[in-house]
Amino acid sequence: MQLDFQARELTVKLVYYGPALSGKTTNLQAIHRLLAPEGRGRLMTLETKDDRTLFFDLLPLSFSTEAGLTVRIKLFTVPGQVIHNSTRKLVLQGADGVAFIADSQVNEVRANQASFKDLRKNLKENHISPSKMPLVIQYNKRDLPNIRSEEEIMRMAAKGKERTYLATATHGTGVMETFLGLIKTTWERMEEEHTLAARFGLDHREVISNLSRRFGVEAPLE
Amino acid sequence: MSDPGTADLAHGEIAQLEDLIDRESLREVCRSFFDLFGLSIRVFSVKGSLLANVHEERSICRYVNSLPRGKTACAVTVGGAQALIPEKGTVVHPCFTGAVYHIVPIIYDERQLGRIILGPFMPADVKEAPRSLLQIDPQMDAERATTALREMPRVPAETAERIATHLRGVLDLILFSGHRAHLTSAMHLATVRESYRELAEKNARLQEAFDKLKELDRLKSNFLATVSHELRTPLTSIIGYSEMLQAGIAGEMNPEQSGFVETIRTKGELLLALITSLLDLNKLERGQVKIEPELVDPKAVLTEVKETYLPEAEKKGITLEVHCADDVPQLLADPVRLRQILINLAGNAIKFTPESGVVRLSATATQMAMADSDEDDDGIGAALMMAPEPAIEFKVQDTGIGMAQNQLDKIFDAFYQVDSSSTREYGGAGLGLSIAHNLVTAHSGRIRVESELEKGTTFFVTMPETPPEPD
Repeated sequence: MQLDFQARELTVKLVYYGPALSGKTTNLQAIHRLLAPEGRGRLMTLETKDDRTLFFDLLPLSFSTEAGLTVRIKLFTVPGQVIHNSTRKLVLQGADGVAFIADSQVNEVRANQASFKDLRKNLKENHISPSKMPLVIQYNKRDLPNIRSEEEIMRMAAKGKERTYLATATHGTGVMETFLGLIKTTWERMEEEHTLAARFGLDHREVISNLSRRFGVEAPLE
Repeated sequence: MSDPGTADLAHGEIAQLEDLIDRESLREVCRSFFDLFGLSIRVFSVKGSLLANVHEERSICRYVNSLPRGKTACAVTVGGAQALIPEKGTVVHPCFTGAVYHIVPIIYDERQLGRIILGPFMPADVKEAPRSLLQIDPQMDAERATTALREMPRVPAETAERIATHLRGVLDLILFSGHRAHLTSAMHLATVRESYRELAEKNARLQEAFDKLKELDRLKSNFLATVSHELRTPLTSIIGYSEMLQAGIAGEMNPEQSGFVETIRTKGELLLALITSLLDLNKLERGQVKIEPELVDPKAVLTEVKETYLPEAEKKGITLEVHCADDVPQLLADPVRLRQILINLAGNAIKFTPESGVVRLSATATQMAMADSDEDDDGIGAALMMAPEPAIEFKVQDTGIGMAQNQLDKIFDAFYQVDSSSTREYGGAGLGLSIAHNLVTAHSGRIRVESELEKGTTFFVTMPETPPEPD
């Protein structure tokens, strides 16, 4: 999080993490597609080779609050392939929240777990305690055969602390929910740490309803 | 995160207009706009640097500037236009001639990076020279001013807005490409730096492990030296007392007792030889063996070796031959060590040659290039370094069981046995060749082997007539 008091500007960095080919870029593409154009930047993709992300994707979003604060949200993806570890570590620097995009296919269990371990390791190497990083989990690719059942996922999720979502990013379903869930989790954490509401008159309800409207949803979620 | 470059990277922020835009290309874009619409264009960064300036002085401007008061008023207007910072949208800045400037902000990623100044141009609805122009200078000639004013390009407000939007779109594209290229190169750099850091860490760990291993190796050598020495002392007593028993000092023994004592003695000597080899190898590996060269006659050395093995060869029914022409010159070598090399090789030859075989020891004069060692064999300076020098080649040739080709590069390793199975036919600790190799190298000589299964093996030892001074 970066706060520029003079410009009354708040910059928040959110990172989409996960194993190779789990649909991180597809999530950003769907957000880009679903959001109203106002305040939505271009989706920037750095160096792709055969449709695989080499460095990262970046989608900037911004809006102004009633109290006159400009909120800039930067969505990043990391490259999932194992060899790009130093890039993942660099992208994680300064992250305020992480959405972990898991692959729902049964035979991807190991890849999901390995990537999550990698996330924990990279957070620690960036001197961030993994338990303090706002995190949501998305089980993507719900439209594929041979996937882990919803009941099973929810039973596992109930044992953890994180909000967990199901999605089919290629169709755009579950993408907004994951994104807004990540915003909520991240904001709760930032409010706790930086007393944003007291200092800027900004609380997560305003942020969520603002962003929801731009997804074309009037009623704020949960 | 203290490095501002890293901070930019962490949030993917754009730096500044100056960093992203190539001025020459920007000027070309502005020039093409000027050619299309006839409008002057200036581009400023947010810090006020002029990045592109494509304009043509209009007749009216030239006329106004020729009048003293007009010149002052013009400077104020132009200065005002350049100092204006549009907050959100286009700002229209009027000139006393009735013309206007449009000042358009360059906004990228919600940040103002600079501004475009379009104009001056005449709005379509201004028909004649305004009073503000005519009154600006007492010397103003109204007719001349009106004529000059007609040459000013006329652009309707909405067209000007469209031109601005178009130019902004082009700039945005350039900025986006520049931003992406900027982030990519920053990312490249950061990734390389991170990889370097990881490798440096790994290297440090490897170095540490290497140092530890080196220390362990030193300890191992010390241990070996001590243990060998401690083993030798009691062994000498065992052998000595066995000999005394055999000599009958403690009374006569019956043939069976004598046979047992003989076994104790020969096995003891075998063990002693093994321990001595171990000590030798240890010393050789640590470079502690001193070579004391003197003039040696090859034929004499070979004959000595032959005499050593003659009884054993006769017992096995092997012919042992020495071939050495009389004109083979003497060489400077450590006679004890040279004998040890040949004894090790000849011992092997006899061990691995079956009954009625032949073991032939020979020496011939030859030449060798001293610098042709493995580590320097990069071919550099060959004309100098490959100069051959006189040398003696010793050959130990047998008609024994031979070895397979894939064994040949390992046989000089310490403790290596071609047949290391527990049921192997031939004994030994696997130290002889390793010791021979080390001794040959200590003389700056070379040893190599040729072998064929079931046919026999030949070892070639090439020793310089005069070993070179150490570097």
